[in-house]
Amino acid sequence: MASPLEQLTAASGRNFPNLYAARELTARRLAERRASLAELPHDEDVSLVLMGSWGRSEVTSGSDDDFMLLVQGDARMDVRPSLAEVKTVLDRAPGDQGIFGEPVSSRRIIEKIGLEDDSNSNLSRRMLFLLESCYATREDIYDLVREELLDRYLDQSVKHYRPPRFLLNDVVRYWRTMCVDFAGKERAGPEKWGLRNAKLRTARKVLFAGGLLPVFQCATLRADEMPAFLRASLAMPPVDRIAAAFLQHDAPDPGGRALGAYDDFLGLLDDESFRAELNAVTRESSKASAAFAEAARLGKELELGLLALLFETDSLPKLVREYGIF
Amino acid sequence: MTPLLLADPHPVLAHHPLGASTGYMSEDRGDWPALVRHASELSPFAIELSALSEDEIEPLARFLAGEPPLPFRYVSIHGPSKGRQMSEADLAGSLVELAARANAIVMHPDTIEDPRSFRILGRKLVLENMDARKDDGRTVEELAGWFEELPEAGFCFDIAHAWSLDDTLTVGGELLDAFRTRLRHLHVSSMSADLHHVPLTEEHEELFMPLLARCLDVPWILEAPPRQP
Repeated sequence: MASPLEQLTAASGRNFPNLYAARELTARRLAERRASLAELPHDEDVSLVLMGSWGRSEVTSGSDDDFMLLVQGDARMDVRPSLAEVKTVLDRAPGDQGIFGEPVSSRRIIEKIGLEDDSNSNLSRRMLFLLESCYATREDIYDLVREELLDRYLDQSVKHYRPPRFLLNDVVRYWRTMCVDFAGKERAGPEKWGLRNAKLRTARKVLFAGGLLPVFQCATLRADEMPAFLRASLAMPPVDRIAAAFLQHDAPDPGGRALGAYDDFLGLLDDESFRAELNAVTRESSKASAAFAEAARLGKELELGLLALLFETDSLPKLVREYGIF
Repeated sequence: MTPLLLADPHPVLAHHPLGASTGYMSEDRGDWPALVRHASELSPFAIELSALSEDEIEPLARFLAGEPPLPFRYVSIHGPSKGRQMSEADLAGSLVELAARANAIVMHPDTIEDPRSFRILGRKLVLENMDARKDDGRTVEELAGWFEELPEAGFCFDIAHAWSLDDTLTVGGELLDAFRTRLRHLHVSSMSADLHHVPLTEEHEELFMPLLARCLDVPWILEAPPRQP
């Protein structure tokens, strides 16, 4: 069966060559990495999870190997494979700082939602795991933890024909956290300002909208139908979730233009000189950067399409008004 | 399912982003601060600054060079469409300077002699479909050649111009089918019997909505003031 993105291609007349190429590259490299990583010694309760562009099926030449060593249950440091062992296979792994630098306890990301113990890193790990990840090893552990996480969100507070508010609030909170953290990082230093800004306008919006739209879609379901729906929807790349929403709400032309702009951005990001220029851009130099201007323009086209979907189609505007602000 | 806008009694005014063309504000012509002020009263989100004759370009460039604080998030500039005297290279050069301060430069294809001169505008250039009075740039077949010559150019869909050719809007639908991936913004109005832009009538608003509903993600620029209630 054709993916929602393929269906949108047919309905909108807009092809997405860069997204399709990235999907092929993701599938190829993922198969290679899964085969290599399966050779590593493995604890029974550990799944190696790939995040970011891997989870979006948007791997390009410049993509990092963002990964998380997920331990089902409580955390411990002596897990197999070790971080060092993983990095013998994932040669573009991130540094050991920040959200990817240590084994992650499933208990912590699932049970510590909100309050003091839900740190910025814990929120980021949880949301990336839910919204843009795929397994590299131990699919069974990966699926089990996702199931447990969804169960936590879809607790007794969920009502028939209403978006699950607990999950909705955490998805919205994560988007706003990314925006606030962008300002915090800028204050800490100008490094990578341009690339971070461009990604906030594009890939981060796709991540947010790819979480928001399935949650709103729950308003058409009984509470007992939501877990299966969200499991299936969140198993798709975010772009497919967005494409499905444009089709469902009878807006294929705006959908084609919005994801077309995102496709163009992904193509440019695969260009080394474009990426290098974006990487070097600061707030001060951004007005003189053609690469930054182009990224900003494409980000705006993506945003206009998503806003039209949320605010001017059939049923979504009322859901956004009812549940999206308060 | 019915798009939300179709259920609104004045659906065009409910669209976002909406903007005004300064072209219909003839009483303030040449007074750019006043034009901008009046346009922002309709909407502070989008505007089309109309420099419909060549002698308006330089004053507009001076106004924008002063970097006046403007509220708009989308600014298009309508290039000269009548009384052309400048060489195409000089005109394109002037428009490139303006383009640095705008999202789009709208041109009528029938006023262009050599499209190659305008390639320097890149993606900022937007070609508008023409009305029934013109002899080029009206239909898919006539516009296709222009986009072949100007592959980066966007499309400004003037729905009243399309209506002037065919009041069933079949031509309008064909234009959107053919150029929807290039679509950057819309011109919205009705047309008088002598094919001048006039306020959008209720009848036309209802007639136009199915096509407008395909364009929910781009700015809609009113080419005439909103009709009085």
